[in-house]
Amino acid sequence: MEREGLQRSMVRLADGDRSAFAPVFEALWPVLRAFAGRAVGPADGEDAAQAALLRVFSRASEFDPSRDALAWALGIAAFECRTLRKRRARRAARELPVAAAADWLAPADVAPSPEAALIERDLRAAVATVIGGLRPIDAETILALESGDRDVPGATFRKRLERAVSRFRSAWRDRHGAG
Amino acid sequence: MEQVEAGLATRARRAYELGRARTALRYAPIVAVAALAAMSCGRPAGLSCALGAALFLLTGALCFLGGIGGRAVVAGLLAGCAPLALPLLTRTLGYACLGDRCASLCMPACVVGGIAAGAVVGLLSARWIDTPRDELGFAASALAVAALTGCLGCTLAGAAGVLGMLAGVAAGSAPVLILARVRR
Repeated sequence: MEREGLQRSMVRLADGDRSAFAPVFEALWPVLRAFAGRAVGPADGEDAAQAALLRVFSRASEFDPSRDALAWALGIAAFECRTLRKRRARRAARELPVAAAADWLAPADVAPSPEAALIERDLRAAVATVIGGLRPIDAETILALESGDRDVPGATFRKRLERAVSRFRSAWRDRHGAG
Repeated sequence: MEQVEAGLATRARRAYELGRARTALRYAPIVAVAALAAMSCGRPAGLSCALGAALFLLTGALCFLGGIGGRAVVAGLLAGCAPLALPLLTRTLGYACLGDRCASLCMPACVVGGIAAGAVVGLLSARWIDTPRDELGFAASALAVAALTGCLGCTLAGAAGVLGMLAGVAAGSAPVLILARVRR
């Protein structure tokens, strides 16, 4: 469907004409899928495109007929892609340091390959450096998690651990970037 | 793939209908203010709530369905302000006395408000709508909303006030609509 056709169908849909639903869906879905695929990659592109499409239809009744329908829909898709990228970055920032700390704290019960051992050694050193830079109470709390040697009640320990992990993440980001 | 797209289309359709339902609620605060205004001027709470609920359902349904009816809601609410406000305002003035005879201003206020509402609907439908067929649907929807809004105020003059307002609406809208039709 050409751009003018999409514009006409979108205006009808915004006005409550349900018969314009199918033409708008058929015109927008391939465009949004291709756009999101280019913006966030093929793996996440499908999810972002679906979220964008649902958002477009959810807000269809607010569509201003004086605006260009395709540009409006792509604007929503761009927002969804940006949100997905931010969420992914946040998740990576949250998971990697904790995973690294857990690996460092966990006993190595299987013999790793030389390459894995090298990576692990570097990672342990990085984690140790970051923990060394924390306040003593934060470092003690993280180390106490592994040893089980807790000299404070459970609730207090959990609060201290939460604060310590938060500061660890922040220090990790400062030293090693977003990852 | 087709199955995925069919599922996505169903979800998209649901999102669209939910979005329309959300949009249909946008006039709820105006309806609530109108009902509260009527109650604050001494109208019975039960009657005002019933009329407010009916107005809420009517505006919500028209907005949800969209089309000509959806566009008529704004015109109806605007026009309904006159028969809503005039009786409530004249209530503060009380009675008009001429010599030794006094009369309530509520009843005339309802009729005048109704005429004003009808005229506003007629003018807006002539200005906003292009085809005569759509004009009829627009005017009918807008007049229904305006009349129901006006009822919130005109119950002050009892059933006679409501009937007077409805007669005023018909009298105010008919000439404007006929004139607009003739001009086309």
